[in-house]
Amino acid sequence: MKIENFINENRPHESAIKHVSGQAHYTDDIPEPPGTLYGAIGWSKKSHAIIKKINLDEVIKSEGVIAVVTEDDIVGRNDVGPVFDGDPIFPKKAEYYGQPLYAVAATTTELARKAVLKAKISYKTLKPITTIQEALKKKSFVLKEKIIKKGEALKAIENSPYRLKGNFTTGSQEHFALEGQAAFVIPQEDNDFKVFSKTQHPSETQQIIAKMLNQKSNTITVETRRIGGSFGGTETQSFIFAAICTLLAKKTKRAVKLRIDRDDDIIITGKRHDFYSEYEVGFDELGVIKGLKLKLASRCGISPDLSGAINDRALLHIDNAYYLENVLLENYLCKTNTASNTAFRGFGGNQGMMAIENIIDHIATSLKKDSAEIRRRNFYQKKKKNITHYNMKIEDNIIQEIFDQLIKSSNYKSRMQNIKKFNSENKYIKKGIAMTPVKFGISFTTWHLNQAGALVHIYFNDGSVHVNTGAIEMGQGTYTKIAQLAANALGLPFNKIKVSATRTDKVPNTSASAASSTTDLNGAATLNAISKIKKNLSEYVKRKYKIKNSEGIYENGMVKFKGKIFKFNKLIKEAYLNRVSLSSSGFYATPKIHFDKKNFKGRPFLYFCYSAAVSEVIIDILTGENKILRADILHDAGRAINPAIEMGQIEGGFVQGAGWLGCEEVNWKTNGQITTHSPSTYKIPAVSDMPEKFNAEIFKKGKNIENVINKSKTTGEPPLMNAMSVFFAIKNAIASIRDYNINPKLDAPATPERILMSIKNLKKKYEK
Amino acid sequence: MASSNIEFVYQNKIFEITNPDSNETLLNFIRTKLKKTGTKEGCAEGGCGACTVVLGELKKNEINYKAINSCITFLPTLQGKQLILVEDLILKNGSLHPVQQAMVNYHGSQCGFCTPGFIMSLFSMFKKNSKFKNDEIKDSIAGNLCRCTGYQPIIKAAKSLKNKSKIDEFSKSKKNTINLLKKINNKSVVIYHKGKKYFAPRYLMELKKILKKNADVDFLSGGTDLSLVVTKERKDINSIVYMNSIRDLNYIKNNNKYIEVGASTPLIEFESYIKKYYPDFTKILKRYGSPQIRNVATIAGNIATASPIGDCLPLLLSLNAEIVLQDFKKTKVLFLNDFFISYRKTKLKKGQFIHSIRIPVLKGNTFKAYKVSKRYDDDISSVCAAFNLRIIKNKVQSVRIAYGGMAAIPKRAIYCEKILSNSIVTDEIVSKAKKALEKDFKPISDMRASGLYRMEVAKNLLEKLYFEIKQKKIIGVYF
Ligand SMILES: Cc1cc2nc3c(=O)[nH]c(=O)nc-3n(C[C@H](O)[C@H](O)[C@H](O)COP(=O)(O)OP(=O)(O)OC[C@H]3O[C@@H](n4cnc5c(N)ncnc54)[C@H](O)[C@@H]3O)c2cc1C
Ligand code: FES
Ligand code: FES
Repeated sequence: MKIENFINENRPHESAIKHVSGQAHYTDDIPEPPGTLYGAIGWSKKSHAIIKKINLDEVIKSEGVIAVVTEDDIVGRNDVGPVFDGDPIFPKKAEYYGQPLYAVAATTTELARKAVLKAKISYKTLKPITTIQEALKKKSFVLKEKIIKKGEALKAIENSPYRLKGNFTTGSQEHFALEGQAAFVIPQEDNDFKVFSKTQHPSETQQIIAKMLNQKSNTITVETRRIGGSFGGTETQSFIFAAICTLLAKKTKRAVKLRIDRDDDIIITGKRHDFYSEYEVGFDELGVIKGLKLKLASRCGISPDLSGAINDRALLHIDNAYYLENVLLENYLCKTNTASNTAFRGFGGNQGMMAIENIIDHIATSLKKDSAEIRRRNFYQKKKKNITHYNMKIEDNIIQEIFDQLIKSSNYKSRMQNIKKFNSENKYIKKGIAMTPVKFGISFTTWHLNQAGALVHIYFNDGSVHVNTGAIEMGQGTYTKIAQLAANALGLPFNKIKVSATRTDKVPNTSASAASSTTDLNGAATLNAISKIKKNLSEYVKRKYKIKNSEGIYENGMVKFKGKIFKFNKLIKEAYLNRVSLSSSGFYATPKIHFDKKNFKGRPFLYFCYSAAVSEVIIDILTGENKILRADILHDAGRAINPAIEMGQIEGGFVQGAGWLGCEEVNWKTNGQITTHSPSTYKIPAVSDMPEKFNAEIFKKGKNIENVINKSKTTGEPPLMNAMSVFFAIKNAIASIRDYNINPKLDAPATPERILMSIKNLKKKYEK
Repeated sequence: MASSNIEFVYQNKIFEITNPDSNETLLNFIRTKLKKTGTKEGCAEGGCGACTVVLGELKKNEINYKAINSCITFLPTLQGKQLILVEDLILKNGSLHPVQQAMVNYHGSQCGFCTPGFIMSLFSMFKKNSKFKNDEIKDSIAGNLCRCTGYQPIIKAAKSLKNKSKIDEFSKSKKNTINLLKKINNKSVVIYHKGKKYFAPRYLMELKKILKKNADVDFLSGGTDLSLVVTKERKDINSIVYMNSIRDLNYIKNNNKYIEVGASTPLIEFESYIKKYYPDFTKILKRYGSPQIRNVATIAGNIATASPIGDCLPLLLSLNAEIVLQDFKKTKVLFLNDFFISYRKTKLKKGQFIHSIRIPVLKGNTFKAYKVSKRYDDDISSVCAAFNLRIIKNKVQSVRIAYGGMAAIPKRAIYCEKILSNSIVTDEIVSKAKKALEKDFKPISDMRASGLYRMEVAKNLLEKLYFEIKQKKIIGVYF
């Protein structure tokens, strides 16, 4: 008989049927009690100003309005900053265009949104700082700068036979999860509040609301069943909406729903950090880097938010897959009068990786060599050259194997030749190709966040299983994978497991669903809880049936002990009748990791994910229009728990990354006003932007050498960086115009405009 | 007799609403009154597709299943149509519609928030075409954004539908639906709701009567521009005449001299008609908004907005189209070229409406059009250009060039035309013509593109045109 095994299996998403039939509830879909009110937020029209007076008379008089709240209604902490202060709920001084100033509750969402427009606000305008350059010049920072040294970078550069200098920018990115920010709060007895929030981080939502209300955490319960995408956009940025919604509920003593309009959502919340880098690199005739000096500055917006950790991750990924012997890094966290930038898939890692990939690309053109070859020559090695610039030994390196396999399977070399031929025959249309590697570290770099809890119950009457964890289901399939793990551990069919909404009163003190670690952590905690219940069961069986040394094997709905076999349901019922506990909490803390942030040394990551991609693009040199013709990806997912779900992350992440480096451009006016705040002005990839040929594959030999659930590797963030290959393929196509002899200057995102201007500059340079 | 109730078919029954608010969106109605929350709001401006629903419309005894954006559709326009929501596709016994099943099988949903919209767009495609090509799949979902999947699994799901039987619950109950639609689709609507007026006449004569008494109305055609006043600016529109209910304005005629398009003809119909005459017109329209937009939007609406980035406008200008304007008593025919005054201002007077558009049939001319934007699907042009040339023996006999995105109005490039006119085009002429564009235009910078880029592209499109005509081939990246 075949053993039913629920892992390593392609299973549809646990909510797939509900998704396709409109039955899956998101925050705004939760049925409302009678008398529910609806909120809207009024925000600053200035990016830097003292607020002299907010006159809300007309707002209060507006049709349907029941209440308004302002700073005066906050009895406790007027801040939603996760680590540091700096993100006031309602500020005294406006620090960015779009900063919330007041809110209303009205009888419908439409009336609330109409009402907030009627406020009269007088400002005393101050001069804003809106760009990284300005902030650098004025030394406007949210946190202290960092300097990191390994070896003797300056000397190494000086002694190198070849040297290059340059600068490079990667752009911001709006999360644009299809579900916008939303919260729904129902007042309870004792001044308690039940909060439904679109968030990746219920526990922190709970604490922040408690602090705002000056109440204990045990008076606030936060619940999240699923969210419609997030990508970092609700790791902290959801707090202010949950907080304001709670204020409105408290004031009106009624349930309040606050669903943010798309424009307001984009205007109010932070995005991906744009990064500016200046580099100086020394290398030998083979293109091997000898020394690197790099200045890395990011736009953080008005507050620290998560910028410290994000910049750290950028610094930790400045090596990508390359061994850097001598480095000198400077990192500046620029304070600007724009929304506070925040977590976004990759969390700074990809920005760091783009900086080094751009340098490698520059080296390759300067030596007139294939950039894939230069990349290979710089890879970390297995036995030597395996210590990172933060002193961690890399033990699981498989980048070489992945790269070599993909070079072959994608026909990289012959396609490169065909492309050169195509380019010599076509005047206005050019093709380009590039191959890039990914090495991405897994674990929160903040040590204490690497923990998770779970709660598992087995009901005695039918043996059905209820699982609850701190994981947020945001499309990545974590509920499905956790249910698969539980089903597998208990030898039960998938449909006997229910993973239910994540709630702070079931599993407390959870970390955000972030850093790609959600399933690793929460899956392991679930298994821990199950193992405790199993222990209760085996102890009972051993005692009752006098069996020694048998822990029980759970398969196909049966539990086998030495010499005794039970039907699962029967065993559960019998155990219950014999007063055995069938419920347990579980816990997991990631082993091995430690990191000294001050000296930037240690082992911040439990393991690394590896991947590589080859992209081929075509560009129109008259307009800058472009298209991805083909992408090949080989991705290491360890022993994948659900290959179909991992594949979804691999493909989806790639397209999202291609958007970041391609058509997605956040634009601010010089006065700090954001101008790209709707799908008509901010363009995320649509269906025609996916590669015409798209060959993504999971690395078959993949296996996590660390003790991670099922020896799997996460696929949350790393696939996004495979899109780096698209950017460098575009650069490669541009370079063809001058026979690959000159390095084109191209910053990200490579919009048609940037591409055309890069071409124009390249032609000019040549003519001189 | 005009009615103040609207009626539509929903779940095999006639559904009636008394005196609805003409500014209420269909999405709002679905979510807050019908309490069906499967249809989502992602943007409230027609740009993401999360709110897609399908409307069944009676056409020649058949039902035409149109995907539309419910977020920018006003509730009363539902009159006489069938409303189909994502919840209506699953059967009572829980079995999924083939489109839904395919999306499950191919892992087409991750977070699932965009999914209902995709289901409805694919459902409309599934019902419309018996066999569809891969291109049609992409066209069908060009107005649906997904941030999670990267689209590949959705495309795979759609491809798998190719060989599926087209018989579903909707085809089984088609007869009944047609009968119901026939019962309700023959009425005009007049609604007075808290000071707001709404008229949905069926015939031109009715319209004129309404205009005689109500000069100060806003004409609502597809509503893909007008509705944003409500959903984005949060203002009321107090007096609306719905044009797309007027049957004698929904037509395309051709007398061999010109093609006449009635004002309420949706772009989707025009786009397939015009292909035979001006293939590039169709090429541009395929990238105009999305199917949800083009299913309802009209050329008349595009013209009346006078937007500098209206995609039909440079094309029509270069073809020297005329527009027929009417009010309750007079008809006036005007060259489009004389219609635009300044930024979003036209010669349209109060109570005057666009009746139709006349597009000359020019045999033997070369007509080419280009749209350049950040994204291929559903994007507003940075630059849109149209060229209409008569070339005989290498000599340009006549030429009309118009650009969008280059000035405050869509505008002809007169100086540039002068250089090309009566010339035998050479590299040198092309560079002169390029230079002349600097006299024609001073484009502005905004979030879509800088003025510098617009000018560069405008010039380069001339070069592209020249090359394409000379080499008799098309060059570009989108094939
Ligand atoms: C998501 C999205 C994408 C879009 N993409 C594009 C695009 O790619 N290219 C492009 O050019 N536009 C685009 N638009 C803009 C819009 O679709 C066009 O302007 C459209 O043609 C308007 O037509 P409509 O029938 O919907 O007009 P409506 O919104 O009904 O009306 C627009 C204006 O015209 C007036 N009007 C309508 N009909 C008449 C008439 N018969 N006589 C007199 N006045 C009339 C109305 O009063 C109103 O002022 C897009 C819009 C959206 C929401
Ligand atoms: S909600 Fe985005 S198109 Fe309607
Ligand atoms: S599945 Fe999340 S947006 Fe499409």
